[in-house]
Amino acid sequence: MRSNAGRAISRGKTFRAILLAVYATLWTVLAIAPRDRTAWLLENLLVVLFAGLLIFTYRRFAFSNQSYLLITAFLCLHAFGAHYTYTHTPAGEWLKEWLQLSRNHFDRIIHFGFGLLMAYPARELLLRLARIEHAAAFWLPVAAVLAASTLFEVTEAVVAQIVSPGSGPQWLGGQGDVWDAQWDMTLAFTGAMAAMLLWSLGFMTSRQRRDRRN
Amino acid sequence: MQQNFRRRRFLHLLAACYAVVWIITAIRPIDFGDWLIENLLVFAAVPVLILTYRRLPLSNASYLLLAIFLTLHAVGAHYTYAKVPLGDWMKEAFAWDRNHFDRLVHCLFGLLLLVPVREVLIRTVRARGFWSYALSFTVIVSASGFFEIVEAIVAQIVSPELGTAYLGTQGDEWDAQKDMAVAMAGAAFASVLLAAIAAIRERKIPDDEIRRSPR
Repeated sequence: MRSNAGRAISRGKTFRAILLAVYATLWTVLAIAPRDRTAWLLENLLVVLFAGLLIFTYRRFAFSNQSYLLITAFLCLHAFGAHYTYTHTPAGEWLKEWLQLSRNHFDRIIHFGFGLLMAYPARELLLRLARIEHAAAFWLPVAAVLAASTLFEVTEAVVAQIVSPGSGPQWLGGQGDVWDAQWDMTLAFTGAMAAMLLWSLGFMTSRQRRDRRN
Repeated sequence: MQQNFRRRRFLHLLAACYAVVWIITAIRPIDFGDWLIENLLVFAAVPVLILTYRRLPLSNASYLLLAIFLTLHAVGAHYTYAKVPLGDWMKEAFAWDRNHFDRLVHCLFGLLLLVPVREVLIRTVRARGFWSYALSFTVIVSASGFFEIVEAIVAQIVSPELGTAYLGTQGDEWDAQKDMAVAMAGAAFASVLLAAIAAIRERKIPDDEIRRSPR
């Protein structure tokens, strides 16, 4: 007979296995005949690095199921963007027509999603490894997300210069927006703040519930 | 470390020096509008430093580095960054295509401010060892990104010409990315340097001393 804790752990493992299977399937399907193979390859460089890091550090540091769910959700959205190239993603095209926008905003949604979905895992990492607490547990994850977004914009610019020198921000999916980098970072920042606010609200209500029970 | 401001002679000297520099650079700046926007940062940062002094007095080293950064910023604001003589001189000497004084200050933002940021994190968040460096680096990088966002918003609000002067892109389409990259590099260099100094000393002086000090 297994203990409750043992059952909970095995349930957790099943959940992670399902997440991995869903993502692997989706990724494989979207790896077939992408719109632009070079762009797909570049978009997936970071995915390979990130997923590899998650897998290699799994034994030493495993996130909670909630965090893995959020990370997977983000990676799934990114897989869509990579398949269609962000500028031509159908969901973005449809939004563009419907709201009469000047550009395909799917990339902006994903930048916001990065903040919204990755702030909680960042928080978990910082809580468990850096042992941050109190107010810092609220603002440091937001700073971490913004720093990651900044690092991403810098990397993106370097890659753009290597792959397509001279064409400038146009290549990046900036779609002619001179403030593209700033917009991307703003959205990641806003998303992270929204996530931390939502999390604190949820935390407060769950504590109220617990207090009422006791 | 002494908490009472009256007994910290070094800070009196530092505040006096900075006040003198600030006043001199405030007299007839090249572009008054630009000077004003550049100084919004100062109007925000200096009161924060003064108001937090009671609860979180920093070390002399931290205040010195902050003062150096603010002094360079005052010079940049006086001349508008793109026209600082030192940058013009470097442009000629190294045959650069633009005045790189702003890049220098962005780099020093990371390099100099990592120390006070780390001190604050060690004392408020109780960051230790590796994480004291990693978290300070993160905060500096995010601050640099945040600054670029604010800069873009301010430039959009004010008139186009003044906005361009303030941004100081000097026609570089990757200006924001380069600014953030040099800040990042400065912060990374400062982290490695501090960690190396701490390792050479072998005792974990910085962490412990800073944490004990405010009493």
